[in-house]
Amino acid sequence: MQTTPSSADQDLQADNLRRAAIDKSVKGPVLFLFLNGAFWLMASTILGVLAAVKLFSPSFLGDCPVLQFGRLQPTHLNALVYGWGIQAGLGVMLWIMARRSGQELKSGKSLLYVAGVFWNIALTLGLLSILMGGSTSMQWLEMPRWVWPILLASFLVFAWPMVIMFGRAFRPEGFMVSTWYILGACFWFPWIFITANVCLHCLPGLGALGAGINAWYVHGLILLFFAPVAIGSAYYFIPKITGQPIASAELSKLGFWALAVLAGWTGMQTYMGGPLPAWMPSIGALTGTLLLIPVGVVGLNHHLTTLGKHSLVASSPTLRFTFLGSLFYPVTGIVLALLSNYSTGVTLQFTHATYGFQIVAVYGFFSMCVFGAIYYIVPRLAGCEWLSVRLIRNHFWFSTYGIATIVVTSLVAGVQQGGDLNHPEMWDQDFMQLSLNARPYMIARALAWCLITWSNIWFLIHLMLMVAGLGRRSSAPTLLHSAHDDTPHAAHA
Amino acid sequence: MSNFRTFILGLVATFGLPWLLLVVVPVIKYQGLAPAAYDKDKDGVEGFYPPAPINGQGQLVYIREGCAQCHTQMIRPTQLALDGWRKGWGQDQEARPAAPVRSNTLRDYLGEKYAPLGFIRSGPDLANYGWRAPERGVIHQKLYAPRSIHDWSNMPAFKSLYIVRKAQGPASSKALQLTGKDAPAEGDEVVPTPEAEALVDYLLSLKKDYPIPGVSAEVAAAAAAPAKK
Repeated sequence: MQTTPSSADQDLQADNLRRAAIDKSVKGPVLFLFLNGAFWLMASTILGVLAAVKLFSPSFLGDCPVLQFGRLQPTHLNALVYGWGIQAGLGVMLWIMARRSGQELKSGKSLLYVAGVFWNIALTLGLLSILMGGSTSMQWLEMPRWVWPILLASFLVFAWPMVIMFGRAFRPEGFMVSTWYILGACFWFPWIFITANVCLHCLPGLGALGAGINAWYVHGLILLFFAPVAIGSAYYFIPKITGQPIASAELSKLGFWALAVLAGWTGMQTYMGGPLPAWMPSIGALTGTLLLIPVGVVGLNHHLTTLGKHSLVASSPTLRFTFLGSLFYPVTGIVLALLSNYSTGVTLQFTHATYGFQIVAVYGFFSMCVFGAIYYIVPRLAGCEWLSVRLIRNHFWFSTYGIATIVVTSLVAGVQQGGDLNHPEMWDQDFMQLSLNARPYMIARALAWCLITWSNIWFLIHLMLMVAGLGRRSSAPTLLHSAHDDTPHAAHA
Repeated sequence: MSNFRTFILGLVATFGLPWLLLVVVPVIKYQGLAPAAYDKDKDGVEGFYPPAPINGQGQLVYIREGCAQCHTQMIRPTQLALDGWRKGWGQDQEARPAAPVRSNTLRDYLGEKYAPLGFIRSGPDLANYGWRAPERGVIHQKLYAPRSIHDWSNMPAFKSLYIVRKAQGPASSKALQLTGKDAPAEGDEVVPTPEAEALVDYLLSLKKDYPIPGVSAEVAAAAAAPAKK
């Protein structure tokens, strides 16, 4: 800023006022999305515990049809994806887009509430329908066919103001990689969602091609919605907290465009060796592996941006969650590459490793970044600071250990299961060995979801207190360590 | 604003290409996919491939209950995995079949609204279950009380697809033959609902390894050889 020292104070104050005005303009919708998201997250993790228990003890809680694994598992994942993931993602997107483009949310706030309410009602009814026996058995699209138009319309209501903000503020000289990603997510999600739903619900029937499109949809949602939102958030908060500019603009652009070019091709390798024309899974396998490039580039960029400021990871909750989340991005990429290529992929195909991939992507990578964002955003909107360092720490460690357990056990279980399936000596055996070998991993998974549930209950309570305005009245942010250097405080101002 | 436009165009171009080539064009081409005729001289059989459709009513129950969460319906080729050599996974139920079960083609799923290819094999593959299936009563027993057949089974018991009722008059021919702790109380009987019957019909109709028209004669001959069932 080219200002004389005397006017610097005034500028700072004007700046703060401008920010406060932006925050105020998006406060209601963003908090609404976060709170509902956190509720669904807790619901999803509880369902995750139940579903994992059902895998080793199918008659747990009786033989009630509502709670069979075939219905619980999709409900668990749909609650995670649509209840928590997309909802919380939209909240983060809206706030970052408003802040980054310097635009207040001008009008249409009540429309946003209506869209949010409709999203949640449609989702609740959709999930209940799965439990009551309305599942479509299409992965992540199990809700009945009348749900998707409502979800789509609600999403577009939220995406539209973001596009407007982006368009108004687009400056060629200003480097805005985080808003690129967020705009990309606004744009890709409806496209993928419409395509998959029209193909699977409206066309006369696509047989096995439908399954391929379903797999393409799941990968698209992960790579073109969850990944961009999480990366966009990390690109915003890492420089913000560390006070360092993004290490390399070139790497950022490369990471973005490589993802945009590659991600749309991947997904159908889920059915490698299957009925689809061979080039379709092959190109999915190729791009699934090539995605290591954007993943590595973004990971390197984040690493370089954080370099030298690792002490802040210990003190700032936002940076700690974001740091861990962006650490999970390369992990997600590596797991995807392992699942995609034809040599390790055929071992891991149709095993629990695929579940591990979905969880590391949606929970380990995306959710951790979003948690980081929430720890930054909510105090600014609610006007009070987080109540308890202990609760944040509790949330962090239980989530971290829980996710790590799920991912590691799922991958190891996948190797075990794939080995059992392809073992030449088991050609005439029934599934006893496979079933018994998977059991310990499923027990571990259930325990891990218990840990995560524990962390989420406290996260939800903490968030509810904050939204109710019952947080700490203080001008100093809640930091995890009372580190006494001034940088974190300055960064949090 | 022109930069904004360039950016949006970039997004459209990068995603539009895979969208077009991987989804739109295959979907349009799929609409033209029709059953293929067998050549009596070359294939040794008459009619069309696939010769028999699956039971659609039962598939609705299969989809509704989420069976696809644990069962796949897809045989992988032998260069990738050993699916084709697993005992009983194809038409030939011999311990040492002459040829592996063939992998699947798009036409195997022709006429299905959505083919539940599956996600995770917590249970065995069902692509060709119709050939190895035991008699109806045993399938019903497996669905009603899986652990009465294998005590290690991790399959849920679909008790809601069955009715437990007072046995009146002569025992129903449909009543399940249950013993031990799964048996109903004295004087009661367990009978399948129409949905359970449809599900079993569907499972019995799963035969996705019919010979493909025009494949090499020996494979076709091996697959077309009279099956045990």
